[in-house]
Amino acid sequence: MKRLRALNHKAQLLEHAVQEGHGEEVQLMSSVVGCTTTFDPGWEIDAFGGLASLCQPMEADLYGCTDPCWWPAQLADGLNSARDWTDGKNSALRDWRELQTLFPGD
Amino acid sequence: MKAQMSEAFREGVRDGIRDAMQCGARIAGVLAVAMGMAGAAHAANGDAAAQRLIEAKCGACHLDNGKLTRISEMRKSPEGWDMTVVRMGIWHKVELTPGERQTIVKYLADRQGLAPSESAPYRPLTERRPNMQDTAPDEEMAQMCGRCHSYGRVALQRRDEGEWRKLMHTHLGQFPSAEYSAMGRDRNWWEIARDQLPARLAALYPKDTPAWREWRSAKHRPATGSWVVAGERPGWGAYTGTMKARAAGPDRYEVSYELRFGPGNTVRGQGDAIVYTGYEWRGSAKLGNEDTRSIFALSPDGSRMSGRWFLKGADEIGARFEAVRADDAVKNELVAVTPRMLRNGATTDVTLAGVALDAKVDLGPGIEVVEWLGKSPGELKVRVRVAVDAPEGVRKVVVGGRESAQTVAVFRRFDTVRVEPAFAVARLGGGTVAPMSAQFDAIAFLNGADGKPGTDDDIRLGSVPATWSTEPFDDRARHDEDARYAGHMAPHGQFVPSFGGPNPLRRGGINNVGNLSVIATVADGDQTLNGKGQLMVVAQRWNPTPLR
Repeated sequence: MKRLRALNHKAQLLEHAVQEGHGEEVQLMSSVVGCTTTFDPGWEIDAFGGLASLCQPMEADLYGCTDPCWWPAQLADGLNSARDWTDGKNSALRDWRELQTLFPGD
Repeated sequence: MKAQMSEAFREGVRDGIRDAMQCGARIAGVLAVAMGMAGAAHAANGDAAAQRLIEAKCGACHLDNGKLTRISEMRKSPEGWDMTVVRMGIWHKVELTPGERQTIVKYLADRQGLAPSESAPYRPLTERRPNMQDTAPDEEMAQMCGRCHSYGRVALQRRDEGEWRKLMHTHLGQFPSAEYSAMGRDRNWWEIARDQLPARLAALYPKDTPAWREWRSAKHRPATGSWVVAGERPGWGAYTGTMKARAAGPDRYEVSYELRFGPGNTVRGQGDAIVYTGYEWRGSAKLGNEDTRSIFALSPDGSRMSGRWFLKGADEIGARFEAVRADDAVKNELVAVTPRMLRNGATTDVTLAGVALDAKVDLGPGIEVVEWLGKSPGELKVRVRVAVDAPEGVRKVVVGGRESAQTVAVFRRFDTVRVEPAFAVARLGGGTVAPMSAQFDAIAFLNGADGKPGTDDDIRLGSVPATWSTEPFDDRARHDEDARYAGHMAPHGQFVPSFGGPNPLRRGGINNVGNLSVIATVADGDQTLNGKGQLMVVAQRWNPTPLR
């Protein structure tokens, strides 16, 4: 890690957190039912309990999340469960409104 | 003798069902024997139809050498079975009509469900209460199971070790990114998943339990009849009322409601309900102009019902629900008292809701009933005066000489106001996804005997009217103008998120996410109190499963 240098704001946040001994802290909000607690970078909130380190806008990287099944409980899983979720919706930034919900109503 | 015959018959039907599921060609013969008993014909017909359906829809994959594999090796809540059935449609293209889906879920939840004591610890998850903290037995379980979905989703299933292990393999095959979520970059996660967790889960949640055997063999009381009900809807306040359930088929009901939120706000409605596993009530009703869903649990003896109802399209908006069956044998069964906070020196009209309430009402020392305001089925109304020098604190309410679990609290002035929930999540919506609002309540407290706020002896008085506002939670939120973009507080404490999608007005074109403080301002006589909570306005969720 000594050879890595933080270049942007998100990386600096991580670096400062480790330097200040916050690396192992558990956030209260990390366990709200329905939210993922895998924070790389996080879907609802980031590892610091905030929003600054998330991919934003999320549409810019949405398919980068769904293609490798990154948040399968919250989003589509493009590997197995919803392979055709993005068919015809090639740009998430442009087409996100047409993406369908994944669990049928009663 | 009768009970023995009944049990023997049930065993016979059960065996017949098992056989029938093993070999579809034998179904007709087995059921012909079972149908010889009068009174069970209707249910048996339904069972036979469900068996045929399961065989037709599931047998192609699950029938192996005459045995229905996997399906018979687990127990789940109705929602758990529903998610399984839906998943089979998504993964394996099993096509089911909504009616077929419900038939299969009903059949499986009845025969392979959870006993009330098994589902009790995770009622908040089942009831879809918003902003609940997920709980797991320890950190490893939270890491291995609870990083993608709630741990409760696991705890509402029962399997033996081998079947739990198969679930691990299912996760590995279907969701390979589980490796990352289970911290597989730092440890041999699969060894834990394959070799350690199955035995732990089988010990915590085994397939065969005395509780289930007992519940499975017991006769359960139908929900038919009149019920006195009460509850509280955050943002609206407390209600009392009645519910009537009429039988509309095996475990099915037509239901009517009358909910009185206060003068001039009575909500009436009709709907239907189905009871799974002998106690899991799932209802649908139009209450006033709102489409609602209800998730209640009958008590094991069938005398009470409790749970939550919520809006069909917005399950974060809903109300607590408690009900007592209006039996002839029940006397002085109190369900609710409203309002529950009574100010020193003030005269207040109080409603007591319950079954067969006696006129003799005792609200405790320093509280005098000064006038009877009326009695209707399920309700008493009285005017009470609280002595100026009545000591502050909680009193148990006694009706007809019977002490109840219901309480009232006497207070002079509020000591503190807290915002509930203290931490909440709202979600942006748009396109096919409805936004998820966040409902807050301002709750007044007394400091209790120690005179200090925030300690265990604080006395919770209840919900009080407030004016609401938001402000940035931290410097970053201030810098990004989250309070300007993320949404607004509507009256009665509901935060309504802003529109979804990238916002070109925001720096970097980010979404209207936000990290906000939610402020409740409460006027109490000559003092003004504030309470503060935190709200994260976050991205939407495209996967609205009933168990999150």
